[in-house]
Amino acid sequence: MNDTELDRLLETWEAPTPRPSLRHGLRARFPRAERLGFVRPLRWALAILVASVALVIGMAQAQSSYSQWDFGDLPVVSLLHRMFENFMEGREARRVEQVVAKIRQSDPKVYVDGQLVAPLEFGPAKSMDVEVPGEGLYSIVLYRFTRVRNAAGRPTGWVEAGRIHDSVIEFQAGGKMVRIECDRPIVGEDRPVFAMRRR
Amino acid sequence: MAKAPERLIREARRGKEEALLKLFDEHHLPLFRFAWRLTGSIADAEDIVQECFLALLRPDCGFDPARTAVRTYLFGAVRNQWLKRLRRRDQGMALEPVDRRTPEAEAVRGEAAGAVAAAIAELPGTQREVLLLAHYEQLSLAEIAEVTQLEIAAVKSRLQRARATLRESLAAYAPQTERII
Repeated sequence: MNDTELDRLLETWEAPTPRPSLRHGLRARFPRAERLGFVRPLRWALAILVASVALVIGMAQAQSSYSQWDFGDLPVVSLLHRMFENFMEGREARRVEQVVAKIRQSDPKVYVDGQLVAPLEFGPAKSMDVEVPGEGLYSIVLYRFTRVRNAAGRPTGWVEAGRIHDSVIEFQAGGKMVRIECDRPIVGEDRPVFAMRRR
Repeated sequence: MAKAPERLIREARRGKEEALLKLFDEHHLPLFRFAWRLTGSIADAEDIVQECFLALLRPDCGFDPARTAVRTYLFGAVRNQWLKRLRRRDQGMALEPVDRRTPEAEAVRGEAAGAVAAAIAELPGTQREVLLLAHYEQLSLAEIAEVTQLEIAAVKSRLQRARATLRESLAAYAPQTERII
């Protein structure tokens, strides 16, 4: 028997055609979409929420001071913005608390134009006070969202005067440079230092 | 424009029955034939084919469109389902025995067809699968290798052995002319 003859012989064994029950059975066993009916709107709501939060975060990154935004025309976005703002501020407050606690434990030494001066004083609301000879008493804070202007647009007295990096805080107090050196690293990334002259 | 199988599967997983039925309509016939020739039972073949399509909906389904065509994957799934049933039967679990001489099967066979079915049933496991896929479903050697998880050379040799065995066992059904010669 050659190949062609064998092939012809094999062809005599025909398969039956499937019954309609094959398709019906599959449909009957298909997991119904109804059970997703409740989940689907929730998914959409979640997607909209995520997109809105992403929008707010994107704008936060694009703006140097997101507190100046005006979302009055979009109530939902405005609400999300406020929630996001509160969240970020709360997180920043906790972070500052940790940083100040670290500074407190790191034997900080204060130098004004290279000269060792009176030690740092720790004030309320995580502020720190430095007596700058010839310039007066300066308070400093490390809170990123310190408002330099009030709602009316007037200066609050706080100005971004320097930076904290690694174990060193440096800021400008009038005409003098203040340098606070800690005995261990305090922050992993640079942060702004806001200063205000008290007297 | 026809949707890609992976897209249909994605839609079906999201609950779109039409997407699964579209896939089913495209692929079920050869799968059913293959399953029927393996099991000898229409009911079992239907059950296996349904199970294969439903398995595509499960999150743990191993189908990767980047690695394999859906058709090849489904043939592999039919084969795995059949092997699973064989194992269950071997373990003595309830499963209807494969009877190649059921009335429904006999109805579609003539004498020669019955002999072919019996001869193929006598082939060792992978030889039978390779022959069914190559001869009846026209799969390429590479596709059969993927379905049976064999090397292409092994597929080729099993196909040759299967055909040689069938030539011997079906010699009585060879055309008269050959027997005269």
